[in-house]
Amino acid sequence: MVRFVQFVNSFVTSAGNTACGEDSMYDIVISHVTDKPFHYFVNPHGISQLFGNMIFKLNTFLGFHSEGSAVTECLHGHPYEIIEATPIKLFGIFDLRITKWVLMLWLALFLCALVFIPLARKIKKSPMGSSSRWVNMWEALIGFVHDDIVEPNFEHGYAKKAMPYFLSVFFFILFANYLGLIPGLATSTGNLAVTGGMALFTLFGMFAIGTIMQGPLWIFTGIVPKGVPFLMYFLLWPIEVMGMIIKPFALTVRLFANMTAGHIVIIIFIYLVMMFQSYLVGVGSVSLSLIIYMLELLVAFIQAYIFTSLSAMFIGSSVHAH
Amino acid sequence: MEVIQEGLLKVEPGLLLWTIITFIVLLLILWKAAWKPLVEALDARAEKVRGDIENADRSRQEAEKLLAQHKIMMDNARNEAAKFIADSRAEAEKLKNDIIEKAGADAEMLADRARKEISLAKDRALGEIKAEIVNLSTDIAAKIINKNLNPNDQKALVEETLNKVRTVQ
Repeated sequence: MVRFVQFVNSFVTSAGNTACGEDSMYDIVISHVTDKPFHYFVNPHGISQLFGNMIFKLNTFLGFHSEGSAVTECLHGHPYEIIEATPIKLFGIFDLRITKWVLMLWLALFLCALVFIPLARKIKKSPMGSSSRWVNMWEALIGFVHDDIVEPNFEHGYAKKAMPYFLSVFFFILFANYLGLIPGLATSTGNLAVTGGMALFTLFGMFAIGTIMQGPLWIFTGIVPKGVPFLMYFLLWPIEVMGMIIKPFALTVRLFANMTAGHIVIIIFIYLVMMFQSYLVGVGSVSLSLIIYMLELLVAFIQAYIFTSLSAMFIGSSVHAH
Repeated sequence: MEVIQEGLLKVEPGLLLWTIITFIVLLLILWKAAWKPLVEALDARAEKVRGDIENADRSRQEAEKLLAQHKIMMDNARNEAAKFIADSRAEAEKLKNDIIEKAGADAEMLADRARKEISLAKDRALGEIKAEIVNLSTDIAAKIINKNLNPNDQKALVEETLNKVRTVQ
């Protein structure tokens, strides 16, 4: 057991290798919860590096980065000869290289399609309700989205129209959250760009629904409560507009922080074993990280629910004037 | 500004764009292929279940109404039957009493007639006896007259005659 822990430790920190220093705890944590582009390993070890090379080549093929120069870099304490390419940014802003996080998003998309397209066919085929547990489980979740997220925030006619969007949001975030809990994969929703992207949809939805349902002048008339004195209007309007911007921002930060915090805690608990190199700490930290993992399983669901529920509330509130 | 360019809080515009593209693709694919048929199927089922429940409710109310009607009919029938039985019993009782009364009256009449016949027969017998007595007395008187009798013989003869008469009577 001690040997195993030392082995893992040497793997993580590579204490014996002189060319590279030990990774600090900060480095380890950050490398687990942040996105970074794939390198090209000149001498790849293992499946993950081979896979990384494949993605690197794909990026080259798609023209997302230029051929870079070979450098030697320390990764997890080992010196590697890698090729680091400079991104070719679209419009000078968007670095569209396919990263681990992008792959995770695609995996979530793929899983959603894999689950729900056959599911729709099965449900349509059996109008009296399927006896399959698999179908009933997803049906219960869809019912949950309908009853607890969409129905309370939309009137009946609109609820039916809004269902597909909120089902997409809920299950996309849910799948992304749970993918992050599988060891070796990454939490795409633990990134401000991803959660910000999702929140932009909410913001766009608020504006679009407000404009469609209440007319283009909605932004001046719809968001301030009716019946306020004329002068108060000039005070309230900027506040309400600010509120509209802040709401998606809060969504962004909430999902990001919730999905990241748990992972950081789990990594730190595991790292404690490497730090102390002791059985007792090992038992304690592994069981504690397991408890946090259980908590994360719960948080992953709750955050998907909260994000979707608040989106529904925000978008639903712009259907009618206040 | 540095904080969103590096580290944990980095906002990578490329990733943001990828998120938007991925989500739009997800929306387009699932909206057409999954959510629309799914929501329609579930709505149709919910509608059907609601209809079924309403139908069941209506049927139950109807059944209850029918049951109440049946109960009333049953009660009526039972009352009628009870009344019928009571009527029949009263009639039978009356009939029985009539028959007994009539039988009693008949018996009385028969007894009366028997009694009358007996008394008639007795009267007739008494008349015959009286005629016999007259004959006997005549015979006795003839015998007394024909024969010279001592007092003892006379006495014996009278007694003998009287005995005859008694036995006849």
